Amino acid sequence: MSEQENATIRIHIMGKTYRVPAGLTIMDAMEYSGYRFIRGAGCRSGFCGACSTIYRREEDYRLQFALACQEMAEDGMYLVQLPFTPAPRSQYDLEKIDPTENVLLQYYPEIARCVSCNTCTKACPQDIEVMDYVQAALRGDIARTAALSFDCIQCGLCTMRCPADIKHYHMAQMARRIYGRYLSPVPEHLEEQLREIEEGVCDSELDKLVAMNEEELVLAYAARIREEE
Amino acid sequence: MDRLTYFPGCSLKDEAKEFEISAMAVMKVLELPLVEIERWNCCGTVFSLTEDDLMHQLASIRNFIRVQEAGSDEIVTSCAMCYNTLKRSSLFVNHAEERLEKINAFMDEEVAYEGKVEVRHLLEIIRDRIGWEKVEEAMIYPLEGLSVAPYYGCMLLRPRQVGIDDPDNPTIMRDLIDALWATPVEYAFQAECCGSYQVVDHRELIVERTHRILSSARRAGADVVVTSCPLCQYNLRETQSELKEKIPTYEEMPVMYFTQLMAVALDVDSGELPGPLLARFSVGEGVGKGEG
Amino acid sequence: MDKVSKQELIRGYPQYMRKSIERVEATRAKRLESGPPSPMTAEERENILNKYHPDYKPEKKRKLALGISAGEIVPNEMADMLEAHPLFDPADVDLSHIDYDVSLLVIGGGGAGTAAAIFAHQEGIAADDILVVTKLRHGDSNSIMAQGGIQAADRPEDSPAIHYLDVIGGGHYANKPELVRALVLDAPKIIRWHEDIGVMYDKQDRKYLEAHGGGTSRMRMHSAKDYTGKAIFSAVRDEFRNLGIPVLEFFPVIELLLDEKGNAAGAIIYNIETDEYKIIRAKATVLATGGFGRVHIQDFPTTNHYGATADGLVIAYRAGANIIDMDSVQYHPTGVAYPTAILGQLATEKLRSQGAVPVTKDGEAFVFPLEPRDVEAAAIIRECWEMNNGVETPSGVRGVWLDTPMIEEIQGKGTIKQRLSAMWTMWHRHGIDITEDPVLVYPTLHYQNGGVEIDEHGATSVPGLFAAGECDGGVHGKNRLMGNSQLDIYVFGRRVGMSAARWAKKSRPKKLSLQHVVDYEKLLKKAGIETDRVSPILLPDYRDEAVISSSLGRFI
Repeated sequence: MSEQENATIRIHIMGKTYRVPAGLTIMDAMEYSGYRFIRGAGCRSGFCGACSTIYRREEDYRLQFALACQEMAEDGMYLVQLPFTPAPRSQYDLEKIDPTENVLLQYYPEIARCVSCNTCTKACPQDIEVMDYVQAALRGDIARTAALSFDCIQCGLCTMRCPADIKHYHMAQMARRIYGRYLSPVPEHLEEQLREIEEGVCDSELDKLVAMNEEELVLAYAARIREEE
Repeated sequence: MDRLTYFPGCSLKDEAKEFEISAMAVMKVLELPLVEIERWNCCGTVFSLTEDDLMHQLASIRNFIRVQEAGSDEIVTSCAMCYNTLKRSSLFVNHAEERLEKINAFMDEEVAYEGKVEVRHLLEIIRDRIGWEKVEEAMIYPLEGLSVAPYYGCMLLRPRQVGIDDPDNPTIMRDLIDALWATPVEYAFQAECCGSYQVVDHRELIVERTHRILSSARRAGADVVVTSCPLCQYNLRETQSELKEKIPTYEEMPVMYFTQLMAVALDVDSGELPGPLLARFSVGEGVGKGEG
Repeated sequence: MDKVSKQELIRGYPQYMRKSIERVEATRAKRLESGPPSPMTAEERENILNKYHPDYKPEKKRKLALGISAGEIVPNEMADMLEAHPLFDPADVDLSHIDYDVSLLVIGGGGAGTAAAIFAHQEGIAADDILVVTKLRHGDSNSIMAQGGIQAADRPEDSPAIHYLDVIGGGHYANKPELVRALVLDAPKIIRWHEDIGVMYDKQDRKYLEAHGGGTSRMRMHSAKDYTGKAIFSAVRDEFRNLGIPVLEFFPVIELLLDEKGNAAGAIIYNIETDEYKIIRAKATVLATGGFGRVHIQDFPTTNHYGATADGLVIAYRAGANIIDMDSVQYHPTGVAYPTAILGQLATEKLRSQGAVPVTKDGEAFVFPLEPRDVEAAAIIRECWEMNNGVETPSGVRGVWLDTPMIEEIQGKGTIKQRLSAMWTMWHRHGIDITEDPVLVYPTLHYQNGGVEIDEHGATSVPGLFAAGECDGGVHGKNRLMGNSQLDIYVFGRRVGMSAARWAKKSRPKKLSLQHVVDYEKLLKKAGIETDRVSPILLPDYRDEAVISSSLGRFI
């Protein structure tokens, strides 16, 4: 292979072929080709889920799923973006729900349609065990649903692929909030600090600092002692 | 083997908690503890087991892979429904190379299932591996004077190749009741279908069946009915209030899991027993003493 | 682009980098034993900043030629956007047809804007009397990308006063004292609010797992693994959705509207997909539009999201809102230097707060790992370019090693996957296992320290216009500490929500005007600025030069 060939690859964007430098993410490769994103680009760092991408490699019958900003473009990729998932979300009042086993099933009854095909897990660009958390939700294990889905960035690929029309990521969001609100107690030291703030205990010290000129602040800053880990 | 690779099934985690609590407690005493498999999914009973469609076996087989990963070649469950579903899948694919190959190709994200996991019901384990004598030895409060009607329903016995006992003349529950010094009740409807999922759309059908099954047990002298299936238990238990409304003279029949009956006799945590009906058991002071 | 093809990489790195990694491995045990270098004195900090921090290069900045803050020094890229024409001719816009008439307009769908809408609703504004507009999707923001944590003094060893001192010292004493006071005093309340809406903070033994950040004197960094921003924001947005407050996505604001008295009165929004504009009239307006990372100050790569182009600051300036501290830019000390495909993406400060130390190509530690960000960044720049102790990547970028395997040595095996799973995943996608190997880092454009000046209620100098989050100015002085931007967006998001609601309740609907835009054009002319630049720029353009030069501009 000559150096020239080594340095570029061919990609197919929605069926049209472009030649781009090797070593780019799918997103960068599409931009290099001349596409200017409106949809399909968000944080560009793998945290927001805006750039859901479906691709297939030449000679492979299977579809693959990725975040365009995180996955490298490869020679012979057929690419399409899927930046929006029309998935309905259940409205609820976190203060009024009954945070017990059946609550997820109550708001997302379609989770009972899961046939354990695992297509959701295969579609997840975050490597989350999606089917496992749906199964955990089905048997009322809110803590497990919350823990397994923690890294979810709500890109919607699981929901797009599910043959049972489950709204995985909305359901998991609800599970995490229920866990945070009801199953993970607020530390006492926070409540104590809030009581002190409420009673004005912190005010005089702060007032003193606010009134300091820069010279005094420099001295006070230098006198701090850093807490050891 | 000093512990069992245990598949609880979804119902035992919410609606049928007492089934699991009692099963766990009983098997601990019997020194063959149930250890829940780390990762599992629904047995697959929620969709039909059409035999020519491998897709429908995915849920069960995924669980077999989990068993394989856990280094075991056996999976034990106490839920009759899960048992039946898992067992049918295992019979369908175990030692069937062509089917295995096809299904493993579809589940290419998993390690291949080797087709060697055997599915067992907890009752089978107690009968075949522990033995009624050991159950009897472990008993603290003999259930003398208590008449118990076994209810098999469909899933433990049918189809024949799946059943844990002779579908026409099952004895496994009777033998268990015997071992606990209670009186087994013979009645006509011990293997009659409870109506299963018809409860969702045709509740009146279940009410009618409950009436037939429980009245038959009552006429035969039963104080209590034991089951091995969360759905049978739900149907038999929850439709009795409707029955009472229809027939004012109807007398309620307590229904519990077989493991709860065992827990009472072995004096271990039984989970919640059918509360107000406990007065009927006048056997030993340990009866109904759950540890919560 | 890396010249080295994938096949020649050994566990993610080319051979010559492996040689350097071996030297890092060789010194690790000794470094673990001796601990990191000591923090610098005030004098040392000043010296290194003056010589090496990109902010201290006067030729990269200039005085603003026009507007309310004329004479303020800002980066050239910022001045270019402020000294530019609007996107449209005011005469072409029909202000008589109002498309949306609401009490409160919130511009920006990140953490600050979403919180503002929620608290305005709590303050009594009906859900359908609020409108949130956002340029991209609701949540496409830097808020959701924050990894390391959020500061709040809530342990007995700590206090809001100690937090105050850390903030104002880190900010070189330029911060507005009343804003810092609000920030630190509200911090525990914000954590409590997050608890109420179900944010899953890291806890152990019924206490928060709290760590140091750069420049903190107490451990007060609360986290949700290294997905802190996502975990908080996704709960906040979910709560917002439960309240049923309307949001318009893919509708950037292209100009603010004032009334005849110069009060904020709404905005013109632009459907970025269909190319039509809409008029919003509002009694109060909240600006929560984030910062300028995607303008690539001094050509630095950035950690920021796609839409971080300072649109809000540009239109607020035209409307007469003054700006402060815009001369200072935050470069995060540890952006990704390799692999090139993710150049400039964030390597969270939490890596250092959990024990990783920056080291040279020969495995020598050269700086205390948790200096304030500007100092840490300057030290890394010095090491790479002055001391020649960096590692050069195939694409010509230099960086130093951040010795991540130390985390597992100090905190225990499995810590990285447990507490830093986003980081583990990011490098793992490129074949690098950060539990085994160090990562190459170099400063990256991260944060706009200054912005539109606000008071402690979030009010700007334009009556009826409020600002919160990265677009606000005065909270962080000349340098923000880690964990105080997550705090800023929710402390001031909450405050502006409440104050804007109160303002709206005592205001009447207004007559809309674009006179300030017409006047701004006159100022441009008067200042002698002849340019074809237009702003706000809305989105960066990353198309290849060859494509742009042959573009007819018909559809894009």
